[in-house]
Amino acid sequence: MTDTAGPTDTPTDPGAGTDAAGVLRPPAEQAFADELAALERLDDRPRPPKWRLSPWAVTTYLLGGTLSDGTVVTPKYVGARRLVEVAVASLATDRALLLLGVPGTAKTWVGEHLAAAVSGSSRLVVQGTAGTAEESIRYGWNYARLLADGPSRDALVPSPVMRAMQAGRLVRVEELTRIPADVQDALITILSEKTLPVPELDTEVQAVQGFNVIATANNRDKGVNDLSSALKRRFTTVVLPLPATLSEEADIVRRRVASLGAALRLPADLEHLAEVERVVTVFRELRSGVTADQRTSLKSPSATLSTAEAISVMTNGLALAAHFGDGRVGADDVAAGLVSAVVKDPVQDRIVWQEYLETVVKDRREWSDLYRACRDLDPA
Amino acid sequence: MTVHVLGVRHHGPGSARSVVLALEEVRPATLVVEGPPELDAVVPLLADAATVPPVAGLVYDVAAPRRSLFYPLADFSPEWVAIRWALSRGVPVRFADLAGRHLLAPEPATGDTDDEAAGRLPFGEAEEPGTTAPDQSADGPEAPGSEESPDGSGAPEVADADVRQDVVAVLARTAGYADPERWWEDAVEQRHADVLARFAHLRDAIAAVRAADPALSDAHNDRREASMRTVLRDVLDAGDVAVVCGAFHAPALDPRGFPSAAADARLLRGLPRTKVAATWVPWTSARLAASSGYGAGVEAPGWYRHLFETWSTGDALPDPRARDHDVASSWLVRVARALREEGLPAPPASVVDAVRLAESLAAVRGRPAVGLDELTDATRGVLTEGADLPLAVVHRRLVVGEEIGEVPAATPMVPLAADLAARQRSLRLKPTATSSTTTLDLRTDNGRARSVLLHRLRALGVPWGTPADDTRTLGTFKEVWELEWQPELAVAVVDASRYGATVLDATEARVAERAREAEGLAELGRLVETCLVADLPVALGAVVDTLAEATAHQHDLRVLLETVEPLARTVRYGDVRRTDSGRVGALLTTVLARARVGLRAGCQALDDDLATRTRIALESAHRGVALLADPQRSEPWFRALAGLVADGSVHGTVDGRAVRLLHDAGRVDTGDVAARMSRRLSLAGDPADGAAWLESFLGGEAVLLHDHALLEVVDGWVSGIGDDVFADLLPVLRRTFSGFGVAERRRIGAQLAGASRTGETVREVDDDRALPAVLAVARMLGLEVAS
Repeated sequence: MTDTAGPTDTPTDPGAGTDAAGVLRPPAEQAFADELAALERLDDRPRPPKWRLSPWAVTTYLLGGTLSDGTVVTPKYVGARRLVEVAVASLATDRALLLLGVPGTAKTWVGEHLAAAVSGSSRLVVQGTAGTAEESIRYGWNYARLLADGPSRDALVPSPVMRAMQAGRLVRVEELTRIPADVQDALITILSEKTLPVPELDTEVQAVQGFNVIATANNRDKGVNDLSSALKRRFTTVVLPLPATLSEEADIVRRRVASLGAALRLPADLEHLAEVERVVTVFRELRSGVTADQRTSLKSPSATLSTAEAISVMTNGLALAAHFGDGRVGADDVAAGLVSAVVKDPVQDRIVWQEYLETVVKDRREWSDLYRACRDLDPA
Repeated sequence: MTVHVLGVRHHGPGSARSVVLALEEVRPATLVVEGPPELDAVVPLLADAATVPPVAGLVYDVAAPRRSLFYPLADFSPEWVAIRWALSRGVPVRFADLAGRHLLAPEPATGDTDDEAAGRLPFGEAEEPGTTAPDQSADGPEAPGSEESPDGSGAPEVADADVRQDVVAVLARTAGYADPERWWEDAVEQRHADVLARFAHLRDAIAAVRAADPALSDAHNDRREASMRTVLRDVLDAGDVAVVCGAFHAPALDPRGFPSAAADARLLRGLPRTKVAATWVPWTSARLAASSGYGAGVEAPGWYRHLFETWSTGDALPDPRARDHDVASSWLVRVARALREEGLPAPPASVVDAVRLAESLAAVRGRPAVGLDELTDATRGVLTEGADLPLAVVHRRLVVGEEIGEVPAATPMVPLAADLAARQRSLRLKPTATSSTTTLDLRTDNGRARSVLLHRLRALGVPWGTPADDTRTLGTFKEVWELEWQPELAVAVVDASRYGATVLDATEARVAERAREAEGLAELGRLVETCLVADLPVALGAVVDTLAEATAHQHDLRVLLETVEPLARTVRYGDVRRTDSGRVGALLTTVLARARVGLRAGCQALDDDLATRTRIALESAHRGVALLADPQRSEPWFRALAGLVADGSVHGTVDGRAVRLLHDAGRVDTGDVAARMSRRLSLAGDPADGAAWLESFLGGEAVLLHDHALLEVVDGWVSGIGDDVFADLLPVLRRTFSGFGVAERRRIGAQLAGASRTGETVREVDDDRALPAVLAVARMLGLEVAS
């Protein structure tokens, strides 16, 4: 991977989007419109039907690189190239893609960027919840019309899935395992037959080429509504791992914090994001149950301690420093976020955290400011 | 009179396919294959229908069989394919390389380490020259040729030996290919329809590589190539010659560039030599894999075999794309079948999807065709639902493979190996490459015979089987063995053949030798057991003689004590094996008597370490005596123990254990023990000694739970120790009590806390709380209740 992009050139002035002024977070296809346009212009490889880019260009868009005209594509996903290649190849074979991983492993992020790069739009989304009904996967009815005119095509309210089928685009299903099992099963016909029958009208909606589904699921939630094997079989499963090394993870956090900070109009204090390393180290050590030097074993708290949480701790710290401090993120600014990220269970996790503070943080001389900041918060 | 040099990649299926096509075209009068000329004598055996690859040519030093060389051949190896082609057409086959008699000769010069020795081997595997440790278990000849750069990232930094070993892989890597076979197909096969032109171009490429860096060839390589040329000159007169050799040597074997015969002869003059023998031995796929440490190994023998087989059947397909599709789909079908056997669904519809995913993945990656990487990723994504664990099965069973080769019965074998093969046949114990578990019932003749054979082989240093449950070697009629035949066991057999011509004779001689070399009674005691389980009457006599003699010279109490248990087991369970244990019984009586007599004297003035050793020896001897269940032997033993504990000056560790043993046997009552304990633990005594006594006494089952009197003594002692001393003793006490289970500790703690110290009676009754219950019972009994 030719990762030439430093944290500073992450392109994210949100005001840049034409119709996105004031939007908190523009969708991927707007935030990275320049890169997508450049890729589209330079991409001379064969594209699957209805794809905006060739599979190779999609891979480049996600993993970053420098194009032949010098355009720098920032990496969207930092991790194994193999995983992205499998994901893109799967979409190219019209087989649905299931991104599995613990919270904060960039499942949604990858899904969004894949949809943006392949279909040019990441906005067809079904957010899976325990209350997701069949209408949001199949179709609903406009009851006023239904009563007035009887069943007709016009009275049909298409779901994002149906619209994607008609337009030949990618649709994302977030948190698939949170959707009740009987609703999940509505996807089976769509995925295998590529049609959506509408028995009330004695008709069906047939998927146009280019249609596909990207689903995300959390493998910590396994068992919430585990996928039936019939459904699972129709997905290519790609497990997104937690970042393998400290520097990789710190890099991800730094990159995302910088871009979020820019979106929130926080003065990006990138030189002093040194706290990132410490926060990520704390997270990694507690997650793996052993210190970085492999000398001391630790208890793991019940919290997942994902990279996403490290990002939110850092963003929080950045906001604190910007509004109440001197603009430099220091130990005081991250301590509160750190404690609240780790201590999810007030009894169990508190013990874990205290032990960690006393046995690990205290002994690291250069961490004494962090130790003091954490003690001040919780003098117990 | 032309020489067609077919430079190949060892174990490369692509090379193998090209070699066959080339041979069909050339139709040589003689085939020359890279390999030691000693193998010439046994080459006709490869034509035998009973020869099943993978097999390996074995060349070993007759005087020291551990110095040996292997030349593995798989069914997809170009050498194998060429030899089979020649043998089936009556074309003579000659091996050409530096002879094994020179390669294996002990190096007169110093400084030539074994590592170098492996680097200069052709494509064979060097066996480490054996050390002199007689019972060293042959756990695998780790071919020292593992200096291969781990990831091959820095192509210019590859060692010279690697270039010589696999120059094709180096060329492929330089061209940006991860898989050399892929490169071979794209760069060599697809480019040139004329098969001979393929080899000619490859030879030119390598000639350029060698010309660019003359340092690639060293003196040793020069000698090897001189030997090859010598053979070539020899066969040139008979007509056209085809040479199958490692691609690196191809430029040196072109007759146009031959140096003079005299120059080559000069190179080969005066090499050290030794007497060697050559044969074929079965080989396994796992040993072909590079991961097993074999220098010229391949990453994925199973995958290469698959490629070779699919290619040879798919040659009919004119379209290379159809052929590639066939490779991918048939591989994934095999993967799915393997996964199904492991209980995963892997339905055919998913296989179809996996094939499509693999092909689209190859397109995304810009590869010309689907490779193993793509197939593995597709398997993970579609067939195993993202899980890595089932992939391990695929790797073991398919990517590496579980094949084990076979050699025909006529293969020259050392007599011992022939005897072993005959026994394996008659007992229906077939060597397998995978580890399998066998349970033997010693009550049946066959079960006993199998057990004896396995025990003998173990004693002989051929660890084909290892007991799965080592704790009960004698006391049961059931034996569980883990069986796994490693190819290097063939060497171990050859090595062991110096002891005798049959398994029985060799084992007898080997055990007798070990008995003579044994350093101590304990080892001899174990050898006695070995003799029994391996049914070695002659060796048993020798071992018992040595043992009796060693006993007479032995004065150390601990050694005598340690000898008791193995001997007792022999006497006790000898019957199960139907062996005569009369002499062992007599010996045991002697050992026991001597141990008894020396017991008290031997336990005087011990330091802590020696005391601990004595305690362990005492326990083992006690187990031995208990096993015998013979009052004639146990009575004097208990008397001796009683004498020991009567002596107040014995180290606490030993004394505590002896008291405990007597207590458990009911030889001293609790009152007596409490008195002893209290004496040992009294404040006037040395607290450290007291703690040692306590640790020793309490070890094992929690006696304190059942005996309140003892518990009170302990409690009283602990409460009475001064603070300073207590701090010193705390570690010992903690250690003692940590030996108990959590539940036992909790109950001891509860008893000490007073909850039930006095048994089940309740001392104080809360009248108010008890009243309702009492009234209810009274009403039930029909008593009149005053409200």
